[in-house]
Amino acid sequence: MDTSSPTVFVNGELLKLYMGRRVRTVVQVIRNEGGAVVGQSTDNQQLTVKGPDQSVPVMHFMEVIGVADGPQSIRAEICTDFGSNFDTASYNGLCKLANGQFKNLFL
Amino acid sequence: MYSSQYDGGAFVSSQSPDSSVAKTRGNRSTTIPLTVKQITDAYESSSQKSELIVDGVDVGNIVLVGMVCNKASRATDATFTLDDGTGRMDFIRWVNDAADSSETAIIENGMYVSIVGSFKGFNERKRATAFAIRPIKDHNQIVLHFIQPIRMHLENTKSKVGSLSQTQQSFVNESSFSSGYKEPQTPVSNYASVNSKAQGSETDIYKLVLDVLQEPSSLASEHGIHVDEVVQRLGLPAKKVKEAIDYHVDVGHIYSTIDDFHFKSALGD
Repeated sequence: MDTSSPTVFVNGELLKLYMGRRVRTVVQVIRNEGGAVVGQSTDNQQLTVKGPDQSVPVMHFMEVIGVADGPQSIRAEICTDFGSNFDTASYNGLCKLANGQFKNLFL
Repeated sequence: MYSSQYDGGAFVSSQSPDSSVAKTRGNRSTTIPLTVKQITDAYESSSQKSELIVDGVDVGNIVLVGMVCNKASRATDATFTLDDGTGRMDFIRWVNDAADSSETAIIENGMYVSIVGSFKGFNERKRATAFAIRPIKDHNQIVLHFIQPIRMHLENTKSKVGSLSQTQQSFVNESSFSSGYKEPQTPVSNYASVNSKAQGSETDIYKLVLDVLQEPSSLASEHGIHVDEVVQRLGLPAKKVKEAIDYHVDVGHIYSTIDDFHFKSALGD
């Protein structure tokens, strides 16, 4: 068992609290801009995802696991297509709980 | 089989309202959704390494959801590491027949899966045993999985924070899993009735502060509400308000958000 490098559940707001750390979030892909993907976070902020995996279709939800390198930007290591049917409200709630009262269950 | 594991009764050791009696030792038939972090903490803090006790509940089997990595397949078994974001854990899945081998054959590195397994034997072999590994098809299941240990933790520790018991029924609306979730609504009126003990002005201030934090406008804001705003709204001494806020943070009613002065209710969203 190894809990030395956890990935923090974040939304747009929480991303800025974990600069330089490994985070995970789900965004809805809005557009591709060259080597980056612009997505809308579960709390309706625009985030930029830079990384090699650009294969998630527009309007699909994409989970990004990577390093937070800006207040609204992630350098992605793994991107996973979460399809088009994803409940952003629940994910947003989970992010708040996992970073708030129940942080000890996750980090 | 899946739905039965996620029924409310499957991972709480008893439906009895008296939880201090319900969560006794020896109830090994439980199947409990957990995070790797919870398992690690329970394992490292226990003196008896052969048992797993999380929040006072004796854990029989475990359910984990995460990404597969380091998969290695052999004729008799498949081993892999599961990374659920809170940590990594090694598993072995024994292959006894064609059904088992077809189950393990479709699992690939980078895939999200749900695992039902047992922690027994971990102390000796440093890996857990997986009974069933299923690929995740609907990714809302990942969110649901992580909500469940939160709920279980809340229920199992509710004796420490007595007045939170009213909020558990509405905390997760499991029946609407497949068609999207409703935002859990805290029954504020229930909470107020539980908390309205006449114990003097200190309890009244605590209640007033919590009421302000539970107003819809405070709940709607991502940052919650600033301490100074609470002071201004109530017209009470700042020291008293801060005392009340510290109390509520200690018992888990509220938590700080973007800095040490913004707080948000943990019960309202």
